Amino acid sequence: MKTAEKLPTINYQLSTNRRFVWRIVDFAVAGIFIYAGALKAIDPVQFASDIDNYKMLPWPVSVALAFYLPWLEILCALGLVFRFLYRGALSILSASIVVFTLATIGAKVRGLDITCGCFGHASQNWSFPAHLTTNLAILAGLLLLSFKATFGNRLQNSI
Amino acid sequence: MKSSLVGQAVILAALALLPAAGEAIYFRDKISWRSAIAPSEMVTVEQARGWGDTAIWVDARPDDEFANDHVPGAISLNEDRWNELLPQFLALWAPGKKTVVYCSSLSCNSSREVARRLRKEAQLSDVFVLEGGWEAWLKKKR
Repeated sequence: MKTAEKLPTINYQLSTNRRFVWRIVDFAVAGIFIYAGALKAIDPVQFASDIDNYKMLPWPVSVALAFYLPWLEILCALGLVFRFLYRGALSILSASIVVFTLATIGAKVRGLDITCGCFGHASQNWSFPAHLTTNLAILAGLLLLSFKATFGNRLQNSI
Repeated sequence: MKSSLVGQAVILAALALLPAAGEAIYFRDKISWRSAIAPSEMVTVEQARGWGDTAIWVDARPDDEFANDHVPGAISLNEDRWNELLPQFLALWAPGKKTVVYCSSLSCNSSREVARRLRKEAQLSDVFVLEGGWEAWLKKKR
């Protein structure tokens, strides 16, 4: 009887620990986007130039995106932290990282010597594999969180 | 909040417009929506001509285009042969001189890049990009 009484407490403890781990992933991914967004938001002139280096968009569009994208990233990251419009934030961040990765690959294929916009001009000396690895690692984190948000309970019970 | 995924994304996308608009207003004098060069770093053909001998004209186009024709008195300084041509330019440069960099047209980037490198690597001030480039010069010459 005593063991049976303890089971709900152990299950509760395990569930709390799992939730804590997921929150850490939330904070880690959000932290990356807040840092990256802030770097770009403080220097939109440089970020516009970085976008322009991809040679995919006309200059006025690069300028508009340079003003808009950093704030979108920061807002979505705050959505992850405060679990506000959570799934929408995850989908926007996933889509943006996919677009950036494809643009980086496209620029590489076209032989352009680009500065990745990911972390503003701070990442200008990163190699192509470093860009790609970083983007894919962030995407993996986002997909994991999306999976958890969609199939959360089933996943939690199976672990 | 129990709204759909698309709905949530739309709300976030709309909310981000507010700080973006504020920042665009704040930076309105530091960035041009028409070209990649800030208005304070651009110069028209008339203005640059008005500077007379105090201006050094720099042709950022490829060698063959420079050899074909160029602004009288201009010297070639392009990114293909940067290390070779930069000392020749610096030999002509003197404090107080204004540098006017041009490339083919309004849409080319090489004059912007050469101007940026002159400011950053050679630590020069008073470096300007010619609005409209070589095409604008030809039009004004007629």
